[in-house]
Amino acid sequence: MDRRLSGWRGAAVGVALAFVGPGPAAWAQRSGPFFVSVQVAGGTGAVAVGGGYWLANRRLEPELLVGLLPGRLAGGRSLPIVSLKATYAPKGFGLGHSDWRVSPLTAGGLVSYTFGPNLYLSSRKTGRYPTKNYYWWSSALRLHAFVGPRVVQTAAGGWPRRRILGAEIGTTDLYLVSWLTNHTLRLPEILTLGFTAKAGGTPAYGPMPGPGNTAP
Amino acid sequence: MTTDAAGASSQRVLWMTFFTRGWGVACLFTLLLTSCHLLEFSPNQVAATGGARQLTAQNLARLRQQPRAAGGDTVRFVFIGDTQRFYDETAEFVRSVNQQRGIDFVLVGGDISDFGLGREMQWVHERLRRLRMPYLTVIGNHDQVGNGRRAYQAVFGPLNYSFEYGGTRFVMVDTNGREVGCNGTVPDLGWLRQELADTTRRTVVACHVPPNDNDFDPQLMLGYAAVLAQHPRLAVHLAAHIHRYTAGHPFRDAVPYITTYSLHKHRYHVVSVWGRRAFSLQTVDYGPAS
Repeated sequence: MDRRLSGWRGAAVGVALAFVGPGPAAWAQRSGPFFVSVQVAGGTGAVAVGGGYWLANRRLEPELLVGLLPGRLAGGRSLPIVSLKATYAPKGFGLGHSDWRVSPLTAGGLVSYTFGPNLYLSSRKTGRYPTKNYYWWSSALRLHAFVGPRVVQTAAGGWPRRRILGAEIGTTDLYLVSWLTNHTLRLPEILTLGFTAKAGGTPAYGPMPGPGNTAP
Repeated sequence: MTTDAAGASSQRVLWMTFFTRGWGVACLFTLLLTSCHLLEFSPNQVAATGGARQLTAQNLARLRQQPRAAGGDTVRFVFIGDTQRFYDETAEFVRSVNQQRGIDFVLVGGDISDFGLGREMQWVHERLRRLRMPYLTVIGNHDQVGNGRRAYQAVFGPLNYSFEYGGTRFVMVDTNGREVGCNGTVPDLGWLRQELADTTRRTVVACHVPPNDNDFDPQLMLGYAAVLAQHPRLAVHLAAHIHRYTAGHPFRDAVPYITTYSLHKHRYHVVSVWGRRAFSLQTVDYGPAS
C-alpha cells in the first residue's frame, strides 16, 4: 500500500512540474526556456507527458516524464512509469530560409522507474530470497540510451516559440547485457523506437538564434 | 525579382539543402518508417509489437496435426532447461536437435528468459521456431521476475497446463514457490491432484524447480511428492533450475525425479516413454561446455 501511495505521489509531482511549462504566454515569457513534452514509446510508457528546461544554449534538455503502460500492454494492471531524461541536441543545420532546422543526431539517456505489483528496486526488497543478490538487477529501474534525428521549428514570437519533433532509437540496460554476452543476438533485435514532441517557451534573455537572426 | 519568384527560389534552396545536406536525415527517417516493430513502450510490456503470442496453443495445435515421430507406443522428446540469456547456445542446440530423428517435440523446462522480459521470450522463440518439431515450455522462476508472469502468459500461455500425446498425459506445473514468497499457493496442489486423477494413462510431470530444491515452497514439498506418488502410471518427473543432471528417488517412492542441463552445458536429454510407465534417458553432447 505504501509503495502504491509513493507511486502516485511521484506521478502527481511529475504532472505538476509538467504544467509549470505551458502556463499563460506572458508567464512563459518571464520564466525562461521551459518546455513541455509528449513521448510515445521509447521506454517511458505508451504515452508519457512531462516537461523540462533548456540548458547550455538549448542544447541540453533535462526533463521529467510521467507515462503509463496501459493494462492491455502490461497484461493486467496499468503500470505508471516515471522517467528522468536528458537529451543532447547539436544545433544542426537550417533548411533553406525556412524557420526549420534539422539536428540529424541527438543523443541521450533516461532512467525510468516502473510502479507495479511485482516490480522492485532490488530483489532484496521483496524479502523472498535467501541471498542478498538473488537477482542482481532491479526489475523496476531501467536505464535507457538513445540516438535519433529531430526537426526544430523556431517561430518569430509567441508561445510555444520552439517546437521539436524527434525520433529516438535506443536500447535498455538488460537488452545491452544480453547483446554483449551473445554473438548471435543481432543489433536490430535489441533496438527500441520512440517518438518525442516538445514545445517550449521564449527565453527571457533575448532573441533565439535562427535563420537571419543570429545570436549575439 | 517578384515576391513569387523569391518564394519559389527559397523553396528550391530548401529542397536542395534537404537533398544535399539532409540525406542522412532522410535515411534515418526511412529506417524509422520501416522499423515499426522496434516500437517499444516499455521493456515490461508483455509482447513485442507484432511479436508472437500464445505459443503454447500454437505448438499444441501443430503437435496434434503432425504424424507420430517415434514408432510403436513410444513417445520421444528432447528435454532441456534454462535457455535464459544463452542465445548463442540456443542456436547451436536447435542445429543439433534438428539432426535427431524420431523426436516428437522439444520440452524447455523453464527460465526461458533471464530477466522476465517479453522481448527475451521473443528472442528465444526466434531461435526455437527453427526447430523441425514443435516445442513446449513450462514457466521458470526467472520468467516471473517483474512483470514476467504476465509476459509468459501473453507469449506462451497458461502457467499450469496439460496435454495428451501418443497415449501419454503431460502435466506442466508452475513450481516457482519462492516467486510468490512461498505462501502455500505455488505449486497449485488442487489443480495437480485434478490433473492426475485419471490414473489410466501413462503420465509425465514437468516443472522448473524440483521439489527437493530450496526454491520450492517447503510447506508443499511433501504434499506435492505424495500427489505424484499416488499415480500408478507416472513414468518420470522432470525439472530444470539447477542446470545439471541429477536422477534419483528423493522421496523414497516409485517416482523417478530427473533434472536436466541448462543450454550453457551444451548437453540435452532425449526422453523416451513407452509401455505402462517405462522411460529411458539418453544424453546428447553437442560441444564443449562454455
